[in-house]
Amino acid sequence: MTTGIVFDIKGFALHDGPGIRTTVFLKGCPLRCLWCHNPEGLSPFPQLSVKQTACRHCGKCTVPCSHPDCQPFGRCLHICPSGCISVAGTAYTAEALAEKLYADRDVFAMSGGGVTFSGGEPLLQADFVCAVSGLLHREEIHTAMETCGYASPNVFRRTAEQMDFVIMDIKLADPVLHKQYTGADNGVILENFRWLASCGKPYEIRTPLIPGITDTEENLAAIRNIIGDSKWEKLPYNTLAGAKYGNFGMEYTLEK
Amino acid sequence: MINRTLYTFITEQKHHAWRRPSVPSRAAEYADAGMTPAQRMSARFCEMAAEEAKNPHILPGQKIVLMRTLPNGPDVLTPGEWEEIRKDHFIHESGYISNICPDHISLVKTGFKAARENADPLSAACLDAMSALCASYREEALRTGRVDVAEVLAKVPEYPAETFREALQFFRIVHYGLWLEGDYHNTVGRFDVYMMPWLRHDLDAGILTMTEAEELLEDFFLSFNIDSDMYTGIQQGDNGQSMMLGGRLPDGTNVWNELTEMCLKTSGELKLIDPKINLRVSKDTPLSVYEKGTELTKVGLGFPQYSNDDVVIPALVKLGYDPEDAANYTVAACWEFIIPKVGMEIANIGALSYPLCVDRAVRALEDSADLQDLKIAVAREIRTEAAAIMDKVHDVWFVPSPFLNLLYGGRNIADGAKYNNFGIHGTGISCGADSLAALEKYVFTEKRWTLSQVVAAMDNNFEGEDEMCAALRYEAPKCGRDDLADRYLVYLTEAFSCALAGRKNDRGGIWRAGTGSAMFYLWHAAALPASPDGRRKDEPFAANYSVSIFAKIENPVSVIRSLTKPDLAKVCNGGPLTLEFHDKIFAGEDAITKVASLVQYFIRSGGHQLQLNAVNRDRLLDAQANPEKYRQLIVRIWGWSAYFCELDKEFQDHVIRRQEDVI
Repeated sequence: MTTGIVFDIKGFALHDGPGIRTTVFLKGCPLRCLWCHNPEGLSPFPQLSVKQTACRHCGKCTVPCSHPDCQPFGRCLHICPSGCISVAGTAYTAEALAEKLYADRDVFAMSGGGVTFSGGEPLLQADFVCAVSGLLHREEIHTAMETCGYASPNVFRRTAEQMDFVIMDIKLADPVLHKQYTGADNGVILENFRWLASCGKPYEIRTPLIPGITDTEENLAAIRNIIGDSKWEKLPYNTLAGAKYGNFGMEYTLEK
Repeated sequence: MINRTLYTFITEQKHHAWRRPSVPSRAAEYADAGMTPAQRMSARFCEMAAEEAKNPHILPGQKIVLMRTLPNGPDVLTPGEWEEIRKDHFIHESGYISNICPDHISLVKTGFKAARENADPLSAACLDAMSALCASYREEALRTGRVDVAEVLAKVPEYPAETFREALQFFRIVHYGLWLEGDYHNTVGRFDVYMMPWLRHDLDAGILTMTEAEELLEDFFLSFNIDSDMYTGIQQGDNGQSMMLGGRLPDGTNVWNELTEMCLKTSGELKLIDPKINLRVSKDTPLSVYEKGTELTKVGLGFPQYSNDDVVIPALVKLGYDPEDAANYTVAACWEFIIPKVGMEIANIGALSYPLCVDRAVRALEDSADLQDLKIAVAREIRTEAAAIMDKVHDVWFVPSPFLNLLYGGRNIADGAKYNNFGIHGTGISCGADSLAALEKYVFTEKRWTLSQVVAAMDNNFEGEDEMCAALRYEAPKCGRDDLADRYLVYLTEAFSCALAGRKNDRGGIWRAGTGSAMFYLWHAAALPASPDGRRKDEPFAANYSVSIFAKIENPVSVIRSLTKPDLAKVCNGGPLTLEFHDKIFAGEDAITKVASLVQYFIRSGGHQLQLNAVNRDRLLDAQANPEKYRQLIVRIWGWSAYFCELDKEFQDHVIRRQEDVI
């Protein structure tokens, strides 16, 4: 049985592919983009989340409890008066996740939508993603993935072939800058892109516009040069990108 | 093209400079003279119209004229008289007729001259007074060189309207007359059905272009906003100027004409809270219609509100309405389904609090009770509470309205009409259903707590019971995402419907169960201690037919799937599912189509009524701090849209609170 770790499932997703979709956020990412707005997607392991904006610092969650599921986190998950404590990262079997996703099938059919695997990075859990996609296809549900493209070509191709639609990020064209801002070289990403562009699968390229980093004229021109006339969506910088870091005890390092 | 001069004049309220104090109270004089209530209403109408006739104002470029300079008239009865009347009668709200949809068009078609011949003297006096008022506007038009206005007023209201402009002007005169009389929240009805013949006439005759027609309609829509700040209900904006568009006709065909489209377009361009647009749709409605509606939602007006003909028409027929009347339904001020022209229904005469019934049931049971006992007890409490609400209503009495009577062929509408049904709202349904689901899970299945432990914790507002509160509030099954809770939605609506079935009111009508809440979601919640869904004391219920605010359900598809599980035809008094979206969802090229698909999904799933809000919490907070920057910011409250900055802080806070878990 294939299992995966999911940190969120969002219904009525309107910006992750055709139609009304449900987006599954898979936990774990090989990149460390400074501007990442889903910090809970970085680590592959379950993480405690304390919603800072609602926390009243009553300290009730710090009193030791006997719930088995609270033990790994050293906090009580079942006592917060404001409901701010949760765990990001739930294990699902492929069957259980697919079953949950079937629920919205009528609206997928009516709107030409489906399910999008995002993250984190879905390719870090490629076997799981392929298994779920296979189950969804059995029920004629359209599937898509939203990937950073940083995976071995073998994994990338095998998974992309399972999808009806691929959304792929190309953030920076320059390998040095790419390494500097995301922590990884973009050679394999570009190789995967070239395969994607030639394989006949419908796809879309996305670039997050990070002021002074990815939104420079040189970078955008270079990306255009690489992707040719591919469909290209430039996403405005999410000014709330840093908002969630505090919930996970993490620090947002990107200078505004 | 919007007439910006006129638009600015009205939105900047420059015409308020002409406002004067109203006529003096004459209730005591009337009483001394032994005048009947109908005589007093006619006298007050004539006095106010005569005062208004002294002060006609035509705004720059305004084509559809008539404006109030006097606030609402004083009561025609003395407090002592009201006290006497209340001894023998149930008085609904203020006692003046409200919330029905009169036949404006009957007068537009006949003209005052012909109407006067058959009118009783009190109504005829109203017609005379209105004629004189219109004549003074005509003189003002001639004096200021507005020959176009004078020409229209030379024809209407004395003679039937022949052109679209005359019909709009006449409609305005009639609508104005209703407010002047002191009737309130009476609605416009199926405007595109009623008015299309005149538009068609002009277009076919080649005397009007579509652009000219649009300009006239804009002017007409603006006229709903000139005096609307005087028509305050619970808050400003709660004024019942609701308009219905589209939908099935008695012959089974669907209305969708040039006027329907023009109304949607005009409303979106003006971005004003009146008239409030309702759209009738069905499973056959094409996506393009929902797309046009969604364009309006995106503007942030809180409308259109959608009603589903596939659910509402059969529901009304089942309740005993003639099929052709059911096919002509419209909405009352907020959302209650009523029949234009032939109904004198009181669609909001009471409200049943589901959480109250659950509370009573829980307290009536011993710890040895089982789940079945609880369900039976809840049904019993609903029956008892519904009976108490119905028993309180007897000998309903309204102040007669001689002008309004003219729109009902002269009958005294205060005494009733073809349909005299009463509607009861159902408040806090998600609180009630979530409470039962939580009790099923924790008390009866897992046996984690006993009933008496839960009741004790509720009475203590969950002090010292944090774990129980967190479980009930956040971890328990919730309507909108868990089938266990959804089953109680079905159970509660069935129980409510059964509690009213077969009962007659003393006007010969029936009782209808609904899914609305109006202001009762605040009042009923305030009257109750904490509830078994983890709601603390003093927290409101969700408004209308909605999931709990702290259930944190982000997926509207899931909410729709849950809330369409009950047979909504059984609780079809009206009351929409309200979905609120952050306005950022409208970003992206095909967002309109996708949101439109969601509306279509609701309708095809058997939903009865839907209302969507596009909101931005940051803007609301900023507006609270800097109201001067946001005078035109519009929000939806329960059945009406309002200017955010005109609301009391309590209402503002509630609107903001609702947004906290919006996607």
